[in-house]
Amino acid sequence: MKRLLLIISMCVVGVSFARAQEIKGRVTDARDGTPISNVNVTIKGTKTGTTTDADGRFTIKASAEATLVFSSVGFSEQEVKVTGTNMNVALEFAQRNLQEVVVTGYGSRSRRQVAGAITKVNGEEVKLQPVASFDKLLQGKVPGLLSQSQSGQPGAAADVTIRGKGSINGSNAPLYIIDGIQVSAGDFSTINPADIESYNVLKDASATSIYGSRGANGVIVINTKRGAAGKTTVNYDFQYGSSALPHNNLKLMNSPEKLDYELNYDRPDGMNPFQWTPAEVDSLSKIDNNLDEIIFKKGKTQQHQLSFSGGNEKTRFYISGSIFDQEGIVISTGLKRYTGRINLENSFGDFRVGLNATYGYSRFIGTRENDQYIGSPLNAINWFNPYVTLYDKDGNYQDDFLQGQPNPLRELLENFSNTDQMKGVGSVFLEWKIPWVKGLRAKTLWGGDVTEDEALGYLDRTTNAGGQSTGARGQLSRAYARTFRYTGTTSVSYQRTFGDHDLNVSGYNEIIQSKSESFGFTGYGLVGPFKNEAGITPGTPTNGFIPTVAGTATENGLLSWFVDGTYGYRKKYYLSAGFRRDGSSRFGEDNKHANFYNVGASWILTEEDIFKQETKWMNELKLRVSYGTVGNQLGIGNYASLELLNSTVYNGVGGLVLAQLPYPQLKWETKEMFNAGIDFAVLDNRIRGTFDYYNNKTVDLFLDKQLSRTSGFASITANLGKLQNAGIEASISAEIIRSQNLNWSVNANYTYNKNKILDQAGQDENISGLFINKVGERANSLYVVRYAGVDPANGDALYYMKDGKTTTNIYDPSEAVIVGTIDPPQFGGFGTNINWKGIELDALFTYTLGGVIYNNDRFNVEFPGYWFSRVASSLLTEWQQPGDVTDIPSPFNDFHGETTRFVEKTDHLRLRNVTLSYSLPKSVLQRMKISSLKVFAQGQNLKVWHNFQGWDPEITTGILGGAQYPQLKTITFGLSLGL
Amino acid sequence: MFFRKVFTAIIITASLASCKKVIESEPTHQLDGSTRFTSIEDFDFGLTGAYALFRSANYYGSGSNAFVNLPDMLSDNLNETSESLGNYQNLSTWRYAEDEPNIDATWQAAYRIISQANLVLRDIDDFSATDGGAVNRIKAQALAIRAMVHFDLLRYWAEEYDRNSAKPGIPYITVFDYEQKPPRGTVKEAYDHIEADLQQARGLMNSGLDKTINASGKAYIDIQGVHAIMARVFLYSNQLDSAIKYSTIVINSIPLSTRTNFPNIWTDASTAEVIWSVSFNAGEGRIGDPVYFVPNNRSSYRPNPALVTMYDPINDVRYGSYFQVRSNRLVVSKYLAKAAQVPRPDGVTNFKAFRTCEMYLIRAEAYARKGGTNEVSALTDLNTLRSVRIAGFIPGTETGSALINAIAIERRKELICEGHRWFDLKRTTKTIIRSSCSVFCSLDPTSRAWTWPIPIDEINANPDILPQNPGY
Repeated sequence: MKRLLLIISMCVVGVSFARAQEIKGRVTDARDGTPISNVNVTIKGTKTGTTTDADGRFTIKASAEATLVFSSVGFSEQEVKVTGTNMNVALEFAQRNLQEVVVTGYGSRSRRQVAGAITKVNGEEVKLQPVASFDKLLQGKVPGLLSQSQSGQPGAAADVTIRGKGSINGSNAPLYIIDGIQVSAGDFSTINPADIESYNVLKDASATSIYGSRGANGVIVINTKRGAAGKTTVNYDFQYGSSALPHNNLKLMNSPEKLDYELNYDRPDGMNPFQWTPAEVDSLSKIDNNLDEIIFKKGKTQQHQLSFSGGNEKTRFYISGSIFDQEGIVISTGLKRYTGRINLENSFGDFRVGLNATYGYSRFIGTRENDQYIGSPLNAINWFNPYVTLYDKDGNYQDDFLQGQPNPLRELLENFSNTDQMKGVGSVFLEWKIPWVKGLRAKTLWGGDVTEDEALGYLDRTTNAGGQSTGARGQLSRAYARTFRYTGTTSVSYQRTFGDHDLNVSGYNEIIQSKSESFGFTGYGLVGPFKNEAGITPGTPTNGFIPTVAGTATENGLLSWFVDGTYGYRKKYYLSAGFRRDGSSRFGEDNKHANFYNVGASWILTEEDIFKQETKWMNELKLRVSYGTVGNQLGIGNYASLELLNSTVYNGVGGLVLAQLPYPQLKWETKEMFNAGIDFAVLDNRIRGTFDYYNNKTVDLFLDKQLSRTSGFASITANLGKLQNAGIEASISAEIIRSQNLNWSVNANYTYNKNKILDQAGQDENISGLFINKVGERANSLYVVRYAGVDPANGDALYYMKDGKTTTNIYDPSEAVIVGTIDPPQFGGFGTNINWKGIELDALFTYTLGGVIYNNDRFNVEFPGYWFSRVASSLLTEWQQPGDVTDIPSPFNDFHGETTRFVEKTDHLRLRNVTLSYSLPKSVLQRMKISSLKVFAQGQNLKVWHNFQGWDPEITTGILGGAQYPQLKTITFGLSLGL
Repeated sequence: MFFRKVFTAIIITASLASCKKVIESEPTHQLDGSTRFTSIEDFDFGLTGAYALFRSANYYGSGSNAFVNLPDMLSDNLNETSESLGNYQNLSTWRYAEDEPNIDATWQAAYRIISQANLVLRDIDDFSATDGGAVNRIKAQALAIRAMVHFDLLRYWAEEYDRNSAKPGIPYITVFDYEQKPPRGTVKEAYDHIEADLQQARGLMNSGLDKTINASGKAYIDIQGVHAIMARVFLYSNQLDSAIKYSTIVINSIPLSTRTNFPNIWTDASTAEVIWSVSFNAGEGRIGDPVYFVPNNRSSYRPNPALVTMYDPINDVRYGSYFQVRSNRLVVSKYLAKAAQVPRPDGVTNFKAFRTCEMYLIRAEAYARKGGTNEVSALTDLNTLRSVRIAGFIPGTETGSALINAIAIERRKELICEGHRWFDLKRTTKTIIRSSCSVFCSLDPTSRAWTWPIPIDEINANPDILPQNPGY
């Protein structure tokens, strides 16, 4: 492949001007000759410059001796000596790592200067995925980042961890910053992902330490789109499609099987416990209630987005509006969202002022999930007897009267609940380039994240849930919650280049304060025709319908001072350092303040002369190393160190009850992070890669100090112990074919994280239910007795003793051993992109390896005591007589579920997204007088390869309790139009 | 340029705004305990909190109902039905191990009440000079609560109940200190504390209170409540004379209900013969869920048919008050609703923790066990109770073991689903034979199940608690 650096076509006028002359020209893409807009064109050594318009054209005044510098994101920077008054320049598309601009904490730098581990994902790469919550989009794209979704409900958030879980009881959620403002994690369903320009995932101390007590779990810095000088561009995106449930591996009995099981299998309750007559058996076995088809449907998805962007040298803008409407697969559920955004920026004199703001409204109608409640439709699909129809012969709702399971359809249709969210995230900034000192700037940025939720719930008196209301006649509840968090950051920064020296130093002050308030009521006695407040029966001392009213408020604050800086020498050696002091309202007087620091260094070997001469195949090689400390203060209450008394009532008299024990020494978790990495590009930049090794140690872990239960409390949160997360990350991408008409690239990334508890302050192990945290082992390990199958002689369940060899038919919890961790230690993604004359195929696979979970959902259909409801087909192999060789014990045997019988691997490979698109060629576009048109079809979660006995193995909590709402299989079609 | 000055002003203001206030935050919807208990009112609030904790799910409230229905579920009074969701099957079929969550939760719920009582007792004496009457009133109740809850723990976790038994007991916690890791001590030591606390409570209640404890209703433990607890403790510990002494005081103070009034006890329309009635109001849970979950018409445990036939359904006022046919099956309807809600029952009623009838049964049993001439007194008490309950009852003439047996039967009939049967069997015969039952129908005296295991979580956090009970 010929390396096309630049083509300069010259139209020589023949006269050389010594004075400034007007130079006109056009900048095009070296690959296909299309114009590039927004290219910065500057005269080298001066501040004079301009940008290209939509046709790639520019006009600039420069002397004949001048050199013009052309730069644009995604293209190699070119320096071209002025050779005439008309210059056509072709820029090479070569997104070299070192030129990419990444966001590093409070500022942005070229990747060259960065010593930290930062992965950038461009919004364009993921914006088409029909997913409401943007945190789900990052899975498989970022080494070290694991984004798992237990819930497939439209709008549900993902569970995101970066470089393993560094905290056991504290939060493991990263810090999210949008346009400089901290936003609440896990609450993104009212933010439009299409407005996002880039996600910058900050992973090591050099990048995150500057976030101090909030940065330990990594930071995701999100920048939204900006306008560019030039003609206003209009973009319209549309997609439409539908979602469906994936395949369920857990096989349940159909009507004939269930009747066979009832009639012909001996149980403690006897055969044929419902005493069906042969005629009844005959008619029942022909019934299939088709629950799946009645309760579930194909959910429709549609999305519209319209955006405008443009501006001139002084003012730039981006304005967008969007509609997102996604139905769930359970009837009557879904998410509707409407958002608007305006980003504005203006320069005047030495000042720059800007506004980035979005406001959105969403309505979420969900269904119960991840519970064991018999009224949950997602449990009914497993438990409802297949021969009991949902309607009786008169057309009335019919419960599963054999087991008292309520009719799921009635629960769904007669009850309703919805959550309306209004969310605004916005900030304003003002920057001043202080004229008296070159390179000195001051900036202040203030903004807030305000979220208002209003949840309405109606339970009809005829339903199971409504029958459980106070007064047993239904209820209506409405709850309001508001969280407002403001962030104010004021900084002074100094940036200068002196010969070979690059210097960049900043000092900051930051205030963050958050206040959450909620209020709600529940009224009872919905005995009339109203399904709103008008239907509530006023409570009297005797009617039992006394409404309940509740409210709370809580707040926290953070006050910080910090500095950071970078020093570079000859554009090949870089040193960086930072220091931050945080004060937090969450901790006791003695531990209110904490200090965090980081140092980093990087060396670009390919800038060394010897390298330049000897290894021409090596385009880039950079070594990075960093060390620092970062804190975590999330996951505990705002008043976690205090002895707290809660309000209570007894016999109509108010009282106080102790709710939390005091622990005044409580302080932050601190993570000591080490990172070393290599970035490289070889073979004409065709193969690029990054390797990182990290070793993070969390000290002062928030840990439950186990108390003797004779205190009345199980535990108290204290700073105990140490936890290590060490691992490697690798990502590599290769352009296999790079030509004018055909481009083919592949990429892959892999993460291995080793989690290990180093110390728990003298407690060797902490057992909590099925889980254990044991020194020397991974956190969140499953700890159960190993199941050894069934004794063919008597049908007893057998269990392995601690030695792993001896089996016994006596269940003894003290024989439990660690059988795996719920956090998959290996994960990543890989994908490919093929583009042939505008036809593009893009595929992304994600995978995890090495995790296990406890499948309580399967327990509920394999527990023989639940013979009266629908059970798993596997029970048809239940032990019945001596000699039966099976894995399902006799129903007469004592049943103990807390064994490996229900522990399953979560290993899986997921075809997360595949998109096929066609972009119309320029020639056609010009005839149509539009700038771009792309049509596409895409599939989300089309196929998941796994052996899990259920819908989907992504279970982030380690136990699948029941009522799983899996990630949906979604297919959409759409178009993107640019004017 | 003017704007530069404005900008400088903004920067300075922004920095000044970062005053200390940002990182000072006091809870508003909870209270900081370190700033409370500085006035006698807070001790009253704390005592109310201790009573409220009796409603917890693993004590008297919705849930395993450890001291209301569970002792009947564990015994021959109730049979599990096919309506049951199996939540308490491990308990009612005696298949529990030391990791049984409900056992762990009961252990903790009991000690939670004790902890709250100790919080109330901490520093209360500082106010005895200024608020003597209030201190006496609050302290007496807190001591009585502490003693009774420890006794309840002893009922499940001790192998035997004899006053001087050297078998492992339960830790008796007398100070609020969450760091302590107490050993079990012996049954005898537990009784020493229980009796001392009860005697002290009794003394305080007799030495001048600022106001009457139960001005209306029976929601609090008053002096008769203390006597009733003592009578129960002395019967278990086989101190028969003391049992007779204190039950007599209660009997003389609070007479049995009339037959006409008896049904009103169960709808809380009357407090006749009620000594302590744990208050439950709408939204605070229900006490009858396992036997009859009113909201969804689910009866997970139904009265044993053999027991039901022992009642005279026409003449025995208890039959109609305790049982009802609902949806074609007989259910325990003792806890259906309070009076105003009876037409549309919601399952919310008070728990009548102590009633005078139990005092008659204690006294009768104590006399009968003493034997000899005391049997006459025993029979008199038994006949008094039976005559009050059963219209046209012809007084019985039982003696010897027949008398003891008759008292046990009456106890079973009178106190079904009030938290007694399991313990009564445990302290007397230690044999269960469930009739009309297909599986897990009998429990013999050697079973480990008679004594609950110390929860594994307790052992892990506090190894000093060992020894574990036999068989676990």
